[in-house]
Amino acid sequence: MTTIELALRVFIVDDETPARNRLRELLDDCNEQLPLVVVGEAANGQEALDKLAETPADVVLLDIRMPQMDGIELARHLCKLLRPPVFIFTTAYDAYAIKAFELHAIDYLLKPIRLGRLFDALSRARNAVPVQTEVLRELLPEARKHLSIHERGKIHLIPIEAVLFMRAELKYITVRTAEREYLIEESLTALEKEFATRFVRIHRNCLVAKDAIVGFERGGEEGESGWQVRLKGLDERMAISRRQQYIVKEFS
Amino acid sequence: MNEARSIKQNSLPDALPNFRNLGVTLRILLLSNAIALLVAVIKARGWQDFLLQMLQIIALLTPITLSSLLLLGLLQPWLYRLGYGRGVLAANVSVSGLALFVYYLGGELYQPDLDGAAYFDVLRCVSLSVAMCSLLLMYFRLRARGLSLSLEDAHLQVLRARIRPHFLFNTINAVLGIVRAEPKRAETALEDMADLFRMAMAEAQDLVLVQQEIQLSQQYIALEQLRMGDRLSVDWQVLDMPDDALIPVLLLQPLLENAVYHGIESLIEGGCIQVMLRRNGGTLQIRVGNPCPTAGGEPHLGNKIALKNIRERLSLLFDAEASYQVIRGADYYRVEITLPYVKEKRHDHNRTGFARLHR
Repeated sequence: MTTIELALRVFIVDDETPARNRLRELLDDCNEQLPLVVVGEAANGQEALDKLAETPADVVLLDIRMPQMDGIELARHLCKLLRPPVFIFTTAYDAYAIKAFELHAIDYLLKPIRLGRLFDALSRARNAVPVQTEVLRELLPEARKHLSIHERGKIHLIPIEAVLFMRAELKYITVRTAEREYLIEESLTALEKEFATRFVRIHRNCLVAKDAIVGFERGGEEGESGWQVRLKGLDERMAISRRQQYIVKEFS
Repeated sequence: MNEARSIKQNSLPDALPNFRNLGVTLRILLLSNAIALLVAVIKARGWQDFLLQMLQIIALLTPITLSSLLLLGLLQPWLYRLGYGRGVLAANVSVSGLALFVYYLGGELYQPDLDGAAYFDVLRCVSLSVAMCSLLLMYFRLRARGLSLSLEDAHLQVLRARIRPHFLFNTINAVLGIVRAEPKRAETALEDMADLFRMAMAEAQDLVLVQQEIQLSQQYIALEQLRMGDRLSVDWQVLDMPDDALIPVLLLQPLLENAVYHGIESLIEGGCIQVMLRRNGGTLQIRVGNPCPTAGGEPHLGNKIALKNIRERLSLLFDAEASYQVIRGADYYRVEITLPYVKEKRHDHNRTGFARLHR
């Protein structure tokens, strides 16, 4: 494009302070040959989401193993940003993830991190295409710990334990917690598969949290006399479709 | 450091069981009564006769076993000094001598028909005592061998924990992260790391001074604190702990490692590990507690292996006199260990491994 190169904006996510120091020092060393600026750093997923929503970055250096939320899940949430950054993962050793990174040509750095490798990865990052959410989904075999929504320029995390039910409505899925509703853009089938241990399908368009079920009732409107589910803290009754009636027996 | 070396052994030699240990005493009583039961089964002609036989045998056997235990308990220090082979011989001689003594003292009770050959009676009494005594000693030897594998294992496990990539590479990375800004701290960290490796590679030994184990644990914690910063803190409470107290090697450090690895590390705010070591009369109490995540259901496999190893070693060294308990709450985890207070014997320990459980 232009001959004047803009400084690469880099953001660091790692729960360990010395590891962040190390990266900052190495980035400083890279700076002589590759114009870059460290726009911020975060010690955990939530902090990274908050800061990156305000100060966008081109490249995010992401530690895989962190408390609360691992780096790959964080990357999935960060993909919801208007301009998703390029991710470079850092790890001491995660055999499964490394194999997947290689398969999808996603850059990763092994700790202890070497200057040369970091430099190469950053040089590539400028031309790299941001990863697709689908690829990240493959990288993370376990279920996420949070759902995320993009709302007024910020990304909100909803802990999966807080979700009472998820219902498909037109284009979106309504996610209901005890406090409020959120709209997310995902497929109900994929959600059902990902959170199979936590949710049960009661209707073609609805998954409810098993833990939240407090009881079943007979009844319903418009002549339908099927079963309904009562959920903890909700007045609304959720209808169980005829095909899913068997779950009443399974639960009671 | 010299003291540590002097109580170190290349490998654990066979040793006589500690006859003053409650667990050993119980095992001997149980096993000898089990043999009595077998004999009663062989001799019995019916249910009622079986009971009668059983009672008869036990009534005759118990005075001998109890007095033998008393004698062996008294002779213990002397037996240990003899070494294993001669110790076994001495134990056999003293037990059969005692059995003969009780046999003749018991008079009619033991020899209802006096017309039997006296020579045969003596031979029978002695050979039965020797057989019983040797059988029991053999059992204790096999048991000790089985359990002593767990001692080697403890070192292997600790070594494995040191070279676990998560620990090794992250720690090196952390040291690299402070080497420019705080070179002194980086030096200490590398020294701590070297000590931890050395300890893991050391020859199998069983007991060390409490202070040494505490120091090793503190070096380990310092390394983890380098990585985790304020998220990890440890509250040390060492109360009334005598300088000469000995505890099994690598008992405390693996417990702390569990607390870090399965507790503090997965908490975003971190937490504080509570360590308490206390002498309470003739026992030492060790308690390690830590907060842990509520959602993270079942304990780790690695966790189970480390705890199993500690249990086996306690059982090898102290039998029933040590206890071990895990208390798992919704958001905390606590291990409580009670073991006998074993003093370091400053002049005795060079001789053999047998001195190691002297109290």
